[in-house]
Amino acid sequence: MLFRLLHFVLVLAIVASAPLSIDAAAQGLDQAVSGVVADQQKILQDLTTRTDNLEKKIQEDGDDDASLVDIRLQLEEMSRGALNSALAFRPRLSEINARLDQLGAPPAAGQPPEPDIVTSERQALASEKAEINAVIAAAQNLSIRISGLIAKIANMRSELFRNLLTKRYVLSDALSPEVISDANDEFTGFYKAVSSWLAFAFRFKFQAVLAATLMALSLAAVLFVGGRRLFGRVFEADPSIEDPSYLSRLSVAFWSTLLPTLAVGAFLVSTVFFFNYYNVLRGDIGVFLNALVALIAVVFCVNRLANAALEPRLPNWRLIPVETGPARWLVRLTTAMAVVIGVNNFLSVVNDKMGSPLSLTIARSFVATIVVGIILILMGLLKPFKAADGSWRPWPAWLRYTAVAIGLFTIATALLGYIGLAIFVSLQVVVTGTILVTAYIGFLSARAISEEGGFANTSIGRWLSTNSSYEESALDQLGLVVSVAINLMIVLVFLPLILLMWGFQPGDIQAWGYKLATGLTIGSVTISVTGILTGIIVFIIGYFLTRWFQGWLDGSVMARGKVDTGVRNSIRLAVGYAGVALAALVGVSAAGIDLSNLALVAGALSLGIGFGLQNVVSNFVSGLILLAERPFKVGDWIVAGDISGTVKKISVRATEIETFQRQSVILPNSNLINNAVGNWTHRNKLGRIDIKVGVAYGSDVKQAHAVLLEIARGHPLVLKNPEPFVLFTNFGAAALEFEIRVFLADVMNGNIVQNDIRFAVLDEFADQHIEIPSAPRAVVETKKHEAWPIDDDKIEVDFAEHEQAKAEAVAETKRLARSGRRTRKPDPD
Amino acid sequence: MRNATEAVATPILQMWKSLVAAIAILAVGGPALAASATNKDAETRTLVVTEGGGKTELALAAGETAEFCPTGCFVTMPNGDLEALTGSETIEISGGVARIK
Repeated sequence: MLFRLLHFVLVLAIVASAPLSIDAAAQGLDQAVSGVVADQQKILQDLTTRTDNLEKKIQEDGDDDASLVDIRLQLEEMSRGALNSALAFRPRLSEINARLDQLGAPPAAGQPPEPDIVTSERQALASEKAEINAVIAAAQNLSIRISGLIAKIANMRSELFRNLLTKRYVLSDALSPEVISDANDEFTGFYKAVSSWLAFAFRFKFQAVLAATLMALSLAAVLFVGGRRLFGRVFEADPSIEDPSYLSRLSVAFWSTLLPTLAVGAFLVSTVFFFNYYNVLRGDIGVFLNALVALIAVVFCVNRLANAALEPRLPNWRLIPVETGPARWLVRLTTAMAVVIGVNNFLSVVNDKMGSPLSLTIARSFVATIVVGIILILMGLLKPFKAADGSWRPWPAWLRYTAVAIGLFTIATALLGYIGLAIFVSLQVVVTGTILVTAYIGFLSARAISEEGGFANTSIGRWLSTNSSYEESALDQLGLVVSVAINLMIVLVFLPLILLMWGFQPGDIQAWGYKLATGLTIGSVTISVTGILTGIIVFIIGYFLTRWFQGWLDGSVMARGKVDTGVRNSIRLAVGYAGVALAALVGVSAAGIDLSNLALVAGALSLGIGFGLQNVVSNFVSGLILLAERPFKVGDWIVAGDISGTVKKISVRATEIETFQRQSVILPNSNLINNAVGNWTHRNKLGRIDIKVGVAYGSDVKQAHAVLLEIARGHPLVLKNPEPFVLFTNFGAAALEFEIRVFLADVMNGNIVQNDIRFAVLDEFADQHIEIPSAPRAVVETKKHEAWPIDDDKIEVDFAEHEQAKAEAVAETKRLARSGRRTRKPDPD
Repeated sequence: MRNATEAVATPILQMWKSLVAAIAILAVGGPALAASATNKDAETRTLVVTEGGGKTELALAAGETAEFCPTGCFVTMPNGDLEALTGSETIEISGGVARIK
């Protein structure tokens, strides 16, 4: 203890006596550092205050779900802020640690003392580090606190939802005569508020109101008229069509719901926006207006959908094959249900704002739920179909029972006093039902488009097939793509809508979206959708850039530069490989995948190469060498071992050769590199053909030679230079042997020339009386007669088969002659 | 000629695509997207990780590597230093001192 104290005093003395210059330097350092510390402390202080405020707000708004979600979003952002402010110290901390390492540990008791300057610097660094650690610890505590608050919000929200559904009200209180006077009071209050606002608006803001309404109207008109111009044929049912296809009925139903709803929605939203913009709204009027807008939108959308699916006026266009009378009733009932729910919702906002008694709220909700229940039961009991004998048939059992059950459930819960549950159910029936039906119609139309020939029959498909070069099959594939896109759109649009209806808040969906975008953690693997999408998009862009560059290089630069086709081909392919590889690498790193991980993959691959992929890799490398060295190109006549034919395709692993019998031979590239390859058409197509001719002993050899030379020279395909040559090769056993050697510009014509020359030789020798000897073969005639046939029937059958085969052969030749096959020049063998 | 080059290029591209897909799958499965800590000392070292409202102790045996903290956390190092991590760092412990790379 005493020793420590002594040590401390000593240190103090050293620090105090340290040279002034070092002090100054240390101070400068201190200031810079304390700048960061002070900044971050301030930020953390700010975050802490905001957290305190939010914590208070959680207590105050404990019964408001939307506000809780909003608070949670803010808290998550602040948690990120705390982490970021702690991260700001990372560079300074590593600097300090590095410097402390350099300074080394303080000398032990027995060792010689170190210079004062080192000791003082170490202490300064240590104290700074302690300061930074304290700030980071504060950030950590804040982050823990925020996490706790977020967990608390989650608990409160589930509690709220449970309360809403299970709270029971005493109906006898709510349904007393007092309610009527309460309602009267409230209506008076509401009327006063609205009329005073109207008076205010007309007196002081008349122009603004007019301008706002006109602007909203014109926006909606543009949307509606433009939409009608663009998609008019798509979403209007044409009464003159007798039997519209299922697909066109579906798309009319879908689009004629979606587009007008969007137009009306745009009108309503822009009205509210412009009213806000011009400060026309005052007090609670804005809230009332919002509620009214929601009411109108819901009623309009439900009505449009019912009309589109049931088409009371146009039986041909009806999606569900109900009779006209019931269709009309169904449209009325669904609209009525939407009106009841919408009005109830609107009144609840009014109640809320006017501070009306609870009994009024309960009475209103009670009436609304009972009405919805009755409408549901009525719809379920409706008999919409007509049987063949003219009697009315009900809905299918499951549908009927479900509707009646939900209706009865709503009425029963309302009667028992569970008003919250009843309202929740009836709201879900209307809104979720509408969304689900629209989405289902969309799904059905996507399915109809993806069917074979479905897309070609749509108006876009017809337009494409007349205005572009797309084939039927390409259109079918396009239809598949379109149907996938429609499905995706439905999921993206309607899933959030349904989630919204089921008590999830926009904040929830936003938070999920954020999570999905930045990375979804499963175990230790984090999958980031945006990252992967970015990677794919970057790769696609890189791929198309490469293709474009390839085409430009090949078509513009090299074609103009009159580069040899083989070189062009190689350069083009090499550029293609390099570009795609580059695009892939950039794409992979854009996807957020660490390229250093590829080293691991490469290690695994090299093991695989060592064992199994040896051949493939050797062929791959050989393919690259073929491209660089170019011993042959596409279209060349090559001979590799036993195979002789034209090169059709050079790929990375193998080369495709077509023999003259039209057999495709796939030859691994390593064979072509490791073994001798003959190329008849490497630099040019010049080639020599040899024709052997025998002349009988005793003929005029000089004359024969002259005749042969004459024939060779006379042929139009034979080159003058190198000159044709007739070689007297051998005094053969039976004949004097000659060989005509002629060069051809295109060795592919060899067979034609050989034929021509041989015919000419025969003719000429006959004229000049030169003999071509043929070695006679001895013919041995046996006198044995054939065995007597034993089985007459078998011989007869054989004879019939023989005759039939002959007849077929004749027919075949005739057919071939008729079909007029293109005469091709014979292949060189 | 153009068709011929395309005919040559297409299978190569297809091969590339499958290769890239394979590499991508392997790489995603790799440990790139969380912080990782390696203990190069001969004795067990302990990191205290604060993540999502709770503190956990991460004990690393000699030579062990562990992944943790995929979305940001605070870590108390063996020498008492406190650091914030974004979740993409690599920590190396040697001689009782941790270094962030």
